[in-house]
Amino acid sequence: MPLFEKVLYSTDFSPLAEYALDYVKKLKEAGAKEVIVVHVVDDLSIELPDGADLLREKELFKILPEVDQEYVTSIVERLEAIKQELEKEELSVKLYLKYGNISRQIVKVADKESVKLIVMGAHGKGLLTEIILGSVSTDVIRNANCPVLIVKKMEE
Amino acid sequence: MLFRKILYPIDLEKASLEAKPYIFKLKDAGCMEVHLLYVMVPSEWGLIPKGNYNSEEMIEALKASMSEGYVDGLKRTFRKLQEVAREFEEEGIKAFISIIPGKLSEVISSYAEENDIKLVVLGVSAGSLSFFKIGEIVDIIKASTKPLLIVKSKVNYSSENEK
Ligand SMILES: Nc1ncnc2c1ncn2[C@@H]1O[C@H](COP(=O)(O)OP(=O)(O)O)[C@@H](O)[C@H]1O
Ligand SMILES: [Mg+2]
Repeated sequence: MPLFEKVLYSTDFSPLAEYALDYVKKLKEAGAKEVIVVHVVDDLSIELPDGADLLREKELFKILPEVDQEYVTSIVERLEAIKQELEKEELSVKLYLKYGNISRQIVKVADKESVKLIVMGAHGKGLLTEIILGSVSTDVIRNANCPVLIVKKMEE
Repeated sequence: MLFRKILYPIDLEKASLEAKPYIFKLKDAGCMEVHLLYVMVPSEWGLIPKGNYNSEEMIEALKASMSEGYVDGLKRTFRKLQEVAREFEEEGIKAFISIIPGKLSEVISSYAEENDIKLVVLGVSAGSLSFFKIGEIVDIIKASTKPLLIVKSKVNYSSENEK
């Protein structure tokens, strides 16, 4: 049964999200073949339409102020690095860089790509370090239409 | 060994059983043990000593302090858990059964700690994930120090879960 065939990995590039990538790789043994890597930005200096695709809508990138262009470029580089890392494991990879409400965009991409599973951290780069379940995770768990693997890690 | 030991809290409702195939599949990614955990929530048991009531004898002994009807129901639960355990054994996954009284989130998190669990797998009904029920599942996730796989049942069993 292809229960884990297509996996969405959502990252804010925090250490915990990075650790969650180990789980994605391990799932290859349980049948994972394709990984959809998603990052959502909601903090540009200008407003874009909710759900704007910053990787595929090239003309959007051109209208961004220079600071935003630099920021987006640095994120694309980080996403490309993850892609390479997963391809080394012989997983096929598709990247998404979306603009808008974070949890809503994650769930939207999951639906559009018909993924079988979402893998994400329990918290991220929130300002409060004592947060044990972030708002993005909570909302994805609530709204996802597929199973969600929430990665936690004991503080050393 | 990210998936070696899995804790599977199970109430034998449809939603919790829907998580089963995922655990079978995780065998390919290294799952060797599954720990079935049935939690006796306070409304069910009132006051009984802490412990793991995972044998017919221990359950039978509860008749000294609890109603016969309840204890017999618990025995049926235990036998059903044994059937589920057998399914895992047939798939080549070693299975253990625990029946423990307490608060759901506390029993799950302390069991996971004490037994070096690598992953908790929860089958939840759409109902318990709806806005009003999110508390229950969120409490479990917050209390856990281990990763969790949350399998949402496609069907809405909320009415079944109403307490
Ligand atoms: N902007 C984002 N893009 C993609 N995934 C994200 C983003 N923000 C958070 N996530 C995912 O959600 C997880 C939990 O983060 P979050 O709920 O935002 O916690 P916190 O409140 O601590 O920041 C992260 O580990 C990551 O997997
Ligand atoms: Mg965050």
